[in-house]
Amino acid sequence: MAELLLDPHIRFWVFLPIVVITFLVGIVRHYVSIILSSQKKIELLQVQDSQVMIRARLLRENGKYLPRQSFAMRRHWFNNEETGYFKVQKRAAASQNPMTDPGMMTDMLKGNVTNVLPMIVIGGWINWMFSGFLTTKVPFPLTLRFKPMLQRGVELAYLDASWVSSASWYFLNVFGLRTIYALVLGENNAADQSKVMQEQMSGAAMAMPPDPKAAFKAEWEALEITEHKWALSNVESDLLSITEDKN
Amino acid sequence: MSGTTKSKDNKTEPIAYSEAALRNNAIVVEYCRTSMAALSGSTAGVLGLTGLNGFAFYVLSVITLWVMFMIKAGPNWHKYYVSRQSLLTNGFFGALFTYVLFWTFIYGMVHVY
Amino acid sequence: MTLFDKIVSRELTQNEAIDLLRQWRENNERKSNEIAMIHMFYDIYSGKISANERLMLKEQLIFASLDVHDLLTEFQIDFLLQEFPASMRVMRYKAMVREAKEKYDEALEILDYIIKADETNAPARKRRIAIFKAQGQITEAIKELVDYLKKFMSDVEGWQQLCELYLSVGELQRAVFCAEEMLLHQPHCHFHHQRVADIRYTMGGVENMELAKSYYCQALKLNPENMRATLGLFLTTTNLLNHYKSSGNSAKRKEAWKLSQWTQTKAAKRTATKKIKLTKMLLNLAITE
Repeated sequence: MAELLLDPHIRFWVFLPIVVITFLVGIVRHYVSIILSSQKKIELLQVQDSQVMIRARLLRENGKYLPRQSFAMRRHWFNNEETGYFKVQKRAAASQNPMTDPGMMTDMLKGNVTNVLPMIVIGGWINWMFSGFLTTKVPFPLTLRFKPMLQRGVELAYLDASWVSSASWYFLNVFGLRTIYALVLGENNAADQSKVMQEQMSGAAMAMPPDPKAAFKAEWEALEITEHKWALSNVESDLLSITEDKN
Repeated sequence: MSGTTKSKDNKTEPIAYSEAALRNNAIVVEYCRTSMAALSGSTAGVLGLTGLNGFAFYVLSVITLWVMFMIKAGPNWHKYYVSRQSLLTNGFFGALFTYVLFWTFIYGMVHVY
Repeated sequence: MTLFDKIVSRELTQNEAIDLLRQWRENNERKSNEIAMIHMFYDIYSGKISANERLMLKEQLIFASLDVHDLLTEFQIDFLLQEFPASMRVMRYKAMVREAKEKYDEALEILDYIIKADETNAPARKRRIAIFKAQGQITEAIKELVDYLKKFMSDVEGWQQLCELYLSVGELQRAVFCAEEMLLHQPHCHFHHQRVADIRYTMGGVENMELAKSYYCQALKLNPENMRATLGLFLTTTNLLNHYKSSGNSAKRKEAWKLSQWTQTKAAKRTATKKIKLTKMLLNLAITE
């Protein structure tokens, strides 16, 4: 098939603008979401629940470092039929319908406003503004299956599959630039990387289980079947053998 | 940081890794990888590589980056990473997408019109 | 040349000083004297720092000033309070200054206000406990801390503090519980193993001695340089040897003897010149029944 010739104006008035627009919209979206994001107010009970969950998990994972008696005592405290923490603490089941919680509603709305809306608006605008152009050619051959993906808006049956239409070029950019955002926007707070990390870690601790009742039940079951295996039973001989190896 | 949770069995002695440090290393590696993909993609575009040559160039640059990591980390690489192989293979396809985008972009800018 | 001299003679550049402060902040190093000195001899804020970092520098300075008992820092806090009138964090500094001036009632008032406004404010709750501790009301502090830990169960520092408080009133059984809790949270930290062992050793009795022995061994396994654990292991094994000598459990006795020998050679290596003296000293220290 003969090579197509594209008008060089397409390069400067279609191809390049799409890249720039997609990139800048991503940046703007990032900052808008920062502005819109609200500090969630956490309730004491939620903090308490999540911390209990962490402690129970740690008991399961690291309980082997405790003597059997200490382990049993802690498990009893969590799981005892009458007085165990997971039995005594009654939590209301999380409301199934997020619509009843106005706070959650606004959060969902904000998520939509920052994520879905620009995608539709900008995508629609690009489709309308730059429709019907072939913008570029991917530098590798592709099979016909890729045609609907890469040539949206240009329905030519005999066109080589490696040509890319303007609408498809936009979507390629939307998905491909994600890692670049991480690079660019991460750079701004690179100096405080450890701080960001700490926030993430404490965030994990603060994050509430979505449904404490179910989470408690799951943790109760997991703890119930945990067997205690004293990790330090051979530590003395280990210690001696390590030093003997060295000598 | 005190979070030492990830441990690996080395027959005699479990080794404890600092989770925060590991995560920080992963972030840095990811950063390098994205930059590498973008740069090598642009290079491939300017050079006008097509077809398999371009993908071979990507593999080459991934390996180069890995060798550079190894040189930088020196003989004590296990102090920084859990495994050398995963350093090579992790995020291979994620970065490939970035690479292809840049490759296509620069190739389109330079060679198509 | 020590760091102090370097600071005083202004040998560091401004940027180096800023970097130093940043490094201490990130590693959670206290270094209050050094921080206060740097602020005295350098005009940190005229350097190239972001607005965010400026605030963090101020916070760092406030903590350092309180540590070195430079109460003039209250001016700084007042400025910050003007900038962020509703900030719980700044109010907490205010409470800390009151605390440093030993005006505990006023400090408690502020802290209670903070807790009322934000129930999940863990640092404010901790400061309350610190005030009780500073006033010497140990039982009150323990009560508050237990209450706090009921809500924030995975706070290792809280458990550590409670452990120390219990130790100070001689509640070994409870202290060991707290120490074990710390162990659960950070099982790879040799200090925690050593701490559990210390308390178990102090509690006495064969069972506790055996446990102390295991924990000392684990601490040594995690960090072979831990001298306190080495000495602790020696004392424990000596004690156990005495016990088994009378009760005659040969396998356990042999093991204890081996460990005892091992610790002696290890301790001797560290203090090669004082070998005889040290062993003698230790034997005198050991609990003999």
